[in-house]
Amino acid sequence: MTRLKSGVMSYVAITIAAVLVAAVPLLSADRYILKVLVYVGVNVIVIAGLALLFGHAGQISMGHAAFVGIGAYTSAYCVGQVHLPWLVGVAVGTALAAAGGFVLAMPALRLRGHYLAMATLGFSEIMYVVFREARGITGGSDGLGGIAYPEVAGFSFDTPVAVYLLVWGVALLTVLLVMNILRSRPGRAMRALHATENGALACGIDTAGLKIRTFALSAGLAGLAGALYAHSVGFISPGTFGLDQSVIYVATVVVGGAGSLAGPVLAAVALTLLPYADALIPGLSRETVAVLQNWETDIYGIAMIAVVVLAPAGIGGLLKRLRSGRAGEAHV
Amino acid sequence: MRGTRVLSAVASMLLALVCVSASGCAVADPSARADGVEPYRIGAVLSLTGTYAGLGVPEKNAIELEVSRINKAGGIAGRPVEVIYEDDASDAAKSQAASVRLIDKEEVLAIIGASGTGQTIAMRTDAERAGVSIVSMAGGSVLTDDFSQWVFQTPWPNRIVIPFVLEKMAAAGYSTVGLISDTGGYGVDGRDYVLSHADDAGVTVVADETFNSGDTDMSSQLTKVRAADPDALLIWAAGKEGAIIARNARQLNMPQPLYGGSGIAREEFIEGAGEAAEGVRLGTGKILIPDSFGVGTESYEVATSFIARYEAAYGVEPDIFAGHAYDAIGLIADALGRIEGEVTPGALRDALEETNAWVGIDGIFTYSTSDHNGLTTDEMVLYVIEDGTWRVDQ
Amino acid sequence: MEAAEFIQYVIAGLKSGSIYALVALGFSVVYASTGIINFAQGEFFMLGGVLSVWFYSLGLPLPVAGIAAVVATAGLGIVFERFALRRQRSANPLVLVIITIGGSMVMKSLARHLFGPDELSLPEFTPGPSIDIVGAAVERQALWVWGLTVVAVLALWWLYRKTRLGHAMRACSISHDAARLMGVDTARVVMISFGIAAALGALGGFAVTPLTQTSWDAGAVIGVKGFAAAILGGLGNPLAAVIGGLVLGLLESLSVAFISSAYKDAISLLVLLIVLFVRPQGLFGSKRREKV
Repeated sequence: MTRLKSGVMSYVAITIAAVLVAAVPLLSADRYILKVLVYVGVNVIVIAGLALLFGHAGQISMGHAAFVGIGAYTSAYCVGQVHLPWLVGVAVGTALAAAGGFVLAMPALRLRGHYLAMATLGFSEIMYVVFREARGITGGSDGLGGIAYPEVAGFSFDTPVAVYLLVWGVALLTVLLVMNILRSRPGRAMRALHATENGALACGIDTAGLKIRTFALSAGLAGLAGALYAHSVGFISPGTFGLDQSVIYVATVVVGGAGSLAGPVLAAVALTLLPYADALIPGLSRETVAVLQNWETDIYGIAMIAVVVLAPAGIGGLLKRLRSGRAGEAHV
Repeated sequence: MRGTRVLSAVASMLLALVCVSASGCAVADPSARADGVEPYRIGAVLSLTGTYAGLGVPEKNAIELEVSRINKAGGIAGRPVEVIYEDDASDAAKSQAASVRLIDKEEVLAIIGASGTGQTIAMRTDAERAGVSIVSMAGGSVLTDDFSQWVFQTPWPNRIVIPFVLEKMAAAGYSTVGLISDTGGYGVDGRDYVLSHADDAGVTVVADETFNSGDTDMSSQLTKVRAADPDALLIWAAGKEGAIIARNARQLNMPQPLYGGSGIAREEFIEGAGEAAEGVRLGTGKILIPDSFGVGTESYEVATSFIARYEAAYGVEPDIFAGHAYDAIGLIADALGRIEGEVTPGALRDALEETNAWVGIDGIFTYSTSDHNGLTTDEMVLYVIEDGTWRVDQ
Repeated sequence: MEAAEFIQYVIAGLKSGSIYALVALGFSVVYASTGIINFAQGEFFMLGGVLSVWFYSLGLPLPVAGIAAVVATAGLGIVFERFALRRQRSANPLVLVIITIGGSMVMKSLARHLFGPDELSLPEFTPGPSIDIVGAAVERQALWVWGLTVVAVLALWWLYRKTRLGHAMRACSISHDAARLMGVDTARVVMISFGIAAALGALGGFAVTPLTQTSWDAGAVIGVKGFAAAILGGLGNPLAAVIGGLVLGLLESLSVAFISSAYKDAISLLVLLIVLFVRPQGLFGSKRREKV
């Protein structure tokens, strides 16, 4: 299959997804489902950025939740304390997260493998302490509540439907953006980088600059997701942006398949929905839900191991095989 | 063509998602009884695991005990009460997620919870946005100082407990205090109160250290406190770390007496601290020694009856947290009984605000549109731990 | 600051530091033989504590309960390696890390289901008042923790230098292929490394429970600190891991003393980051030269 056709197909898939996303609120007035799907949308944005970094530039970040937190707290602060318009608050949050990624990437990306993991992990833990201690800005370990709904030019997104559409609109645009990057020259350069750094260098690709810029972009997307999350949910606390969450993001990308974008996105959808199964399966008894919640971490851990052991290329690998009939073709 | 296979796979998955979510609103309400008597649905967000598990478990026990008693007696106005429990694992983010589930999916009339101050604050935004009352069992003053029309509180807040404890310390002759508090909502709120009320009580805070929940060794902080040479130590924490602090202090051979509040009024504290718990003084409510209510008063009868029933059901005596929960469900049941007309979350809130002299375990409650706590220092007693149990300190 | 106070801080730092050291040792041993970071190391620590409480509650005398817990955890480590990791020998190392993360989640959760969510305690090995060392008070149990750490390090040293297995492990840490060419059964070495790492973590958990109590989630924080300590010292070198642990513990304690208790975790991590950026091989590691 030619790259051109696969490109068109991906756009078609996005369009279908957009139609389905728009259809949900028309078919269901259930506030709970809409709120759960908002969590899903936010995670899709984070995972798209992480899949870009990880799967294509081959760089690890064990601390991505920290960038989500930076975006969330910054936007909440700008809108709540400084009374900036919502769009500005979100932009500042995104920019600050990207800047944080840039600053961390500069020294950190000279490190390899485990050292890079440790550096990003250390950064994440430090940010967690900052979120917890900078009470004037973040509200401390109790978190920050009463965050305003998103508002653009006087229109307030203050219903679950409006918030849902806003978040998913941004999520779909993000996926589109990442897809475009991957098709373009920087994307191919990144994949070359991942395959062999020295080879990429030999071809004249500015590997250091590329790595840093990718990291910054990935961090910025995480920040954007965080800002959206803060205003959608209305309450944020340091616990949401800690190491546990960062680990789950990494695991999601791996389970999805570190070489693709569709895989991690689908994994993000599935894994975010797992603890909220009762939102989707009507009539699921409360006892079943309680059992599911009680065993959530076990299920998660076993699922992670199972997917990784049985299908090391993750969901993305399975999709590739469906598409091309053989393994190993490089596309999105 | 191969391409269409992926297309159809993706499309069918998303279509399935949509169909399933659409059918969600077509299913009959599973909780409507066959006889058409719909129960009052109340949510409860408790810390059944995590650092506050020692609070959440007795709270759930108490609520279950009272609900079964109410339902056996015929319910309220003929309708049974149904409580839906959620565990927030002592994590504010989980409390918030639990409140979303309870409000949007279960459509509860009110939420009892949370066990902790920070966890309660986490639920406030959703409760206010949806117009559902929260009856909290946490002791941070901020819950009612930072007043919200939708948040009520049953325990004695730090606003009441701290001046009480500080005055007792001053009366015992201790003029300088070393403070160690945790960074969670209850500890932070407590610390703020201590620092702002120390002068009024006649004590000076000469050391001010903090620790995080989950820390396992506070020797470094205590060393710093020891260096300031205070007359007495004040611990403000609600989790399991209280016991570690008492032990660390003993192991550092610190001579100062230890004081604390409701946060250490727990069996786990005595068990975990062992010998280090001897001589520790704490200020909390009367349930630990019911005679403090005054034998023969209505409060005494309510308390002893509850203690007897709880012990019969669970084999142990109820602690202050079970008391907070008894009051929470009791206040809600009392309010539900007073509603005329349609029972909605708003009507329940209004009825709660009309609560007048309701006799509970934590005290006698009178709420109003501006007072959602309803208690005073009259409800406080200073205890001392001796021989592994509490005695009223004379 | 008086000398006695300063020494008290040092003692506190060495106390937590030796726990980090034991956990860091476990990371180091596994990394040396396999090149992967075992994120379940913190859970081995937790299991040592939790299992020893359980064995003790069954009536076993305290030392026996501890040994049983260490052996059981070592067995679990071996089983984990054998069934979850071995197949993935040739996989992307990141995948192996993910498996250890998944294993850690399952172990933690199973511990909660089996042993409950509450704190669990053990009595001190030799109850008694704290001992006075130059004006500072040291708990007797802390002496036990130090003593066991020293024994563990010596045992490892003896293993590496004086036994065939140890030589085989060192050969694997340089190159699996070369080791195999020399007749080393690398699969067995990897399996035993996991067993040793699990035993070390469990020993730490057992020794420390009388001091701090334990519970199902006791492994999370310790895992991160132990990992940081291992990197600080230099991955792959056991003695470096121990020193890394002690240094990290001292850093934390002294930050409480001189800066603030609130930021103690951040400060030690910041120092770690600086070390990583300036000297990524850790304080004692040697620079790896990468050939094209």
